[in-house]
Amino acid sequence: MNRLLFCFSLLMSTILPAKADLRIFACEPEWGALATELAGDKASVFIATTAFQDVHHIQARPSLIAQVRRADLVICTGADLEAGWLPVLLRRSNNRRVLPGSSGYFLAADYVQMLSVPDTIDRAAGDVHPDGNPHIQLDPRNYFPVTRALLQRMIELDGDNADYYQRQSSDFLKRWQSSLELWEQRAATLKNMPIVVYHDAWVYLNYWLGLNQLAELEPKPGVPPTSSHLSATIKRMQLEPARAIIRAPFKPARAADWLHERTDIPVLVLPYTVGGNPQAEDLFGLFDSTLSLLLGVSS
Amino acid sequence: MNLDGLDPVIIAPALAAGVLVTATHVPLGQQVLKRGIIFIDLAIAQIAALGVLLAYSLGFEDSDVAVQATAFGSALLGALMLYQCERRWSHHLEAIIGSVFVLAATAGILLLANNPHGGEHLKDLLVGQILWVNLNQLLPIVVLYVGVLAAWYGLRAEHRPALFYMLFSLTVTASVQLVGIYLVFATLIIPALAVRRLAMRCQSLMAGYLLSLAGFASGLVISALFDLPSGAVIVWMLAVTGILVSSLIASKHQHAG
Repeated sequence: MNRLLFCFSLLMSTILPAKADLRIFACEPEWGALATELAGDKASVFIATTAFQDVHHIQARPSLIAQVRRADLVICTGADLEAGWLPVLLRRSNNRRVLPGSSGYFLAADYVQMLSVPDTIDRAAGDVHPDGNPHIQLDPRNYFPVTRALLQRMIELDGDNADYYQRQSSDFLKRWQSSLELWEQRAATLKNMPIVVYHDAWVYLNYWLGLNQLAELEPKPGVPPTSSHLSATIKRMQLEPARAIIRAPFKPARAADWLHERTDIPVLVLPYTVGGNPQAEDLFGLFDSTLSLLLGVSS
Repeated sequence: MNLDGLDPVIIAPALAAGVLVTATHVPLGQQVLKRGIIFIDLAIAQIAALGVLLAYSLGFEDSDVAVQATAFGSALLGALMLYQCERRWSHHLEAIIGSVFVLAATAGILLLANNPHGGEHLKDLLVGQILWVNLNQLLPIVVLYVGVLAAWYGLRAEHRPALFYMLFSLTVTASVQLVGIYLVFATLIIPALAVRRLAMRCQSLMAGYLLSLAGFASGLVISALFDLPSGAVIVWMLAVTGILVSSLIASKHQHAG
């Protein structure tokens, strides 16, 4: 039996494609895109989820285990976002290089200032993330510390290409800085724009742009809103209408459409991450498109 | 096509889980079909989930043992309640089981209204995914299932309804966490349905076992080759092998008759 397994794995290793320098497994598209910016053709990047999936819950596919098994670096958001599947996936893949605590395990949330960190854990408040709100990808300023930390990690893992990674990352950070300045100029008019969101996944965008979030349609994730909550939201909108109802591509349209029918406030599906719409094909496109969509309803 | 997923490290634990689930579900499923209580697994799983939710709202969540004890305890209680229903209202048992299912599910929603945090845990608990199965996770299941099978064949549980309900609830509570509700339902019902024409008990058992194993093995291989969610593919392969086996049996019957 053992010999059979051995022969089988020998066969597999000859069929598999040639080894890239660094094999990166990214939990979410935004970290996959960032890794590609830094590593260029020196790494192969596998992205576990798409913009149209809720990363809280994903289906187990064989490729997820296969990819983690040979990854040198796993890049995820952390802050409990992937708590439902990343720990089981890592345990199941049994790859020492990427276990928590090793240098192949990188959580972006460890390097940014977290928002909405609860003072006390009150479970009645809903899907509480004790480490703060994990949807950090929507504040472009967060990419500076994450990029620097990721660069260090990639150099640690693949010193042969250190110079290359350095050049790539300083090039990326330079372009990011100039884009950020342009975005902030364009977005000046968005300050204090009132919005309604489907679920509290936009705090970092609000924080960056100064958007004024008036209400949430689903204040407790996974629990349908009560009728009193919905009628309070409608009343609020009559007094103080929001400019847009914002939802992510993977969230159901029904609640947002329901509010739209009753208030005439337009529904805005923002890309949320790389790949969330055709314009958001990379990190730059993600923020370009987000701003264009928001500016479209601001005046 | 993708050959990476065929790595035995990926497939073997899932296949082992499939063998375990097959061992208990095939005989239990034939009894479920005979009694006409097809949806009992859904009801039992939902009752177990409700018990866990209750435990969460009482603040027991930190201990795995406590959570499992509540799940199994509530499933057992639910099973005994359904057994009482069978004794009193056997004609409407399926309708009662269906109602119990929706009541347990909606009671969960009502409980969650004040404690949504439990919902996340519950999803992980009840929507087991066969590919995430770890070999050391299988050890307690082996112990439980060996006990169930010993009681089933040793005490001839198919002739003792109370015992059947108890064994069934214990098995389903474990297997739902292991492979998820769709696979639990499919492994109970499809093999039993496909071999229902076989008159001899040992024949139908053997055919059911083989069919279920073929479904798991082919489903896992196809899911690996095409990188599709494994649980869903296995359900479909169980159905395909089920149809093949049942038409094979039907044509044999025609030749004989």
